[in-house]
Amino acid sequence: MFIRMIRGALIRQWKKMAMIGFTIALGASLATAMLSVLYDVGDKVNQELKAYGANITVVPKEASVISDLYDVEGGESSGAYLKEDELGKIKTIFWAFNIVDYTPFINVNAKLDDGSSVKVVGSWFNHHMELPTGESLDAGITSLRSWWEITAGSWLDEQAEADENAAMIGTALAEKTGLTVGDTIHVTGDVSDGSYRIVGIFDAGGEEDDQIYTPLNTAQALAGLDGCVDSIEVSALTTPDNELAIKAAKDPGSLTIKQYETWYCTAYVSSICFQIQEVITDSVANPVRQVADSEGAILDKTQMLMILITILSMIGAALGICNLVTASVMERSNEIGLMKAVGAQNSQITGLVLLEIIIVAIIGGAIGYVAGFGFAQIIGHTVFGSAITMRLVVIPIVAVIVILVTLAGSIPAIRMLLRLRPCEVLHGR
Amino acid sequence: MNKKRKMYFRMITASLMRRRSRMLIALLAIAIGATILSGLVTIYYDVPRQMGAEFRNYGANMILVASEESFTLEDVDQSMSYIKQNELVGVTPYHYETVRIHELPVLAAAMDLEQVQKTSPYWNVDGDWAASDGELMIGKTIASDMQLGVGDSITVTWTPSAGDAEAETTAQNEDELILDNEMEMTITGIVETGGSEEDYVYMSLADMETLTGTVPDLDIAEVSVSASGADLENYKNAITDNVDAVNARLVKRVTASETTVLSKLQALVLLVTIIVLALTMITVATTMTAVVTERRKEIGLRKALGASDQSIRMEFLGEGLLLGGLGGILGSILGFAFAQAVSINVFSSSISFRPLLVPITIIVSVVVTGAACMIPVRSATDVDPALVLKGE
Repeated sequence: MFIRMIRGALIRQWKKMAMIGFTIALGASLATAMLSVLYDVGDKVNQELKAYGANITVVPKEASVISDLYDVEGGESSGAYLKEDELGKIKTIFWAFNIVDYTPFINVNAKLDDGSSVKVVGSWFNHHMELPTGESLDAGITSLRSWWEITAGSWLDEQAEADENAAMIGTALAEKTGLTVGDTIHVTGDVSDGSYRIVGIFDAGGEEDDQIYTPLNTAQALAGLDGCVDSIEVSALTTPDNELAIKAAKDPGSLTIKQYETWYCTAYVSSICFQIQEVITDSVANPVRQVADSEGAILDKTQMLMILITILSMIGAALGICNLVTASVMERSNEIGLMKAVGAQNSQITGLVLLEIIIVAIIGGAIGYVAGFGFAQIIGHTVFGSAITMRLVVIPIVAVIVILVTLAGSIPAIRMLLRLRPCEVLHGR
Repeated sequence: MNKKRKMYFRMITASLMRRRSRMLIALLAIAIGATILSGLVTIYYDVPRQMGAEFRNYGANMILVASEESFTLEDVDQSMSYIKQNELVGVTPYHYETVRIHELPVLAAAMDLEQVQKTSPYWNVDGDWAASDGELMIGKTIASDMQLGVGDSITVTWTPSAGDAEAETTAQNEDELILDNEMEMTITGIVETGGSEEDYVYMSLADMETLTGTVPDLDIAEVSVSASGADLENYKNAITDNVDAVNARLVKRVTASETTVLSKLQALVLLVTIIVLALTMITVATTMTAVVTERRKEIGLRKALGASDQSIRMEFLGEGLLLGGLGGILGSILGFAFAQAVSINVFSSSISFRPLLVPITIIVSVVVTGAACMIPVRSATDVDPALVLKGE
């Protein structure tokens, strides 16, 4: 009988129930969309902040102490190099998944035909790597120097012109030499000389504008430094630093074993640096404070902003649902009065009305979850150009919110109606 | 006519007062909608400004370089007059000089030590920031190379260069012996940045003046302006065109990336705002519809008593407008309070009140409420009053 009454109510009043379900679906979709975006916004914004370039630099141990200092006096660099064949190891550290990009550099001093000296920088442009994990990665300065403006030609494509001596030159150098895309530039290094075809001219707004950028091997050959790398720039997704990370950055030895594990297994910039030092022989990895610190600040702010907006919209959705449920229960004063008049007990009436609404709420909530996930994808694709991951944790949160809000909206209204006397209600007062 | 209008108002207000609890529900729904509208739109407009300030963490986005040899503090001041004061975060003039510490040559940067904390907020200083009067900071590389620590006292030596005309004459007069200027200084902090900044020692311009005996010329000035895109470009051009001694340049890495990231963030907030608003407005509309649907009987009764469809519609519209207006005003206030709370919590700065948003919020709530009322009223007036009263 109970089931029949509920089924009857749902079918007979389907229009009204559909409206309640619709509103609940809207509220649930709002909550789902906001929560999904909220959980993902950190990662997504982090990815965007990669536009600022690498947040970790790796240099040889000795060089980090002296070479830069003597460079100041115009001398040659010190002779300590990292090994090129170890580069792949960076993608094997604990936080390998968080390393989105990295590129090696080798700086070589060479001379142009007119006798003036020029710096030739060897690097990866879009170096293709097959990783031991089966994934592949295209890394290099094409993405790590995203702020370079290509004024003529295009980025050097390593995969397409692997054997050719191709190069990119800065605008200042192009102006000085009068060379353009398609021309050949001839440079003499310490060991050998080379003629490179210019495929692109870039404007970097810094000292790079006077330099020549070539593939790594080309520059190494010029100075006879096969297999040597000056420095590596690494771009990693990191967690903003906290006290533990600051303490660990000074001296990992000062941590207790438990703290050490927490630190090692969290993507702090200092723990990633530490892990890179472990795999690259005689290296020192340092966070680039300008990028690493600012990233943390901006991430925190964005997340906080999203949290507050989410809270507001959740309150809005909750009140909206609550409101409608109250309105729709109060509307049924006649029906409840009639039920009481024919002898229904308060608990029976409450159970009946609540169950009806909960059924509608569950259906509405389920539809809302799907719709909300769709909204989240719209946001993900329009703003960040990538999908928002589906997080299972959102489902229970939304379910609890929907059920709680529905109950909170209906119970006070039901109680109020039960207090009314049936004859008064039926009389229409 | 006057009487009729009076009656009209009486009916509207009486209907609102009599059905207080339902009307409160409706008003609450509208107020929530209006709050979300005004709150989110205010935030949307304020995000670029607030976030722009956060992006200044990346440091200077404009540098001033000398167009000839060097420039002076007056040139810097003159350049800064072209930038709006509230957008200027900081400006640090730099002068570079080779000095010797323990007979090893190092590059010393003399600058404004207060301003540098604004233009390079990412510097991690182990110890204290140096003030003036014989205090200096050294880069981490130098510290580990020379095994210096915080609190150490060192002698900084400066040799007048041969190109320095005045110093040359003095030196030649004293049998070609070039006299070194010396100064005792205390290390107050070690600068760690992970970049080339670690290879310098830092002191104030005043100390550099004492050391070299001359007012230092400026080599470069870092400027941090919280503006992006075209505004920044305008500042750059204004300074380069109007101040002869300096050329302004933008730090491409910072400006280009900021434009990219900031536009994404703004798009995010915009899209979130649109979706939240659309959903909230629909919720408001359904609630209003539910509240009005309940009154089908009343509509039927009025029709049976001889009211025209037109007058019934006008009455409900009037009620809707009144509710919408009230809710809109309430929402504008609450929305601003919310935006203010967000701004203070997230960015620790207050938000500017946008007067234009108040009428917009009110109009939107009135329109949504009115439209939401009209749907059920129309369906009720279309039906034969007998059927409505019978409850079908």
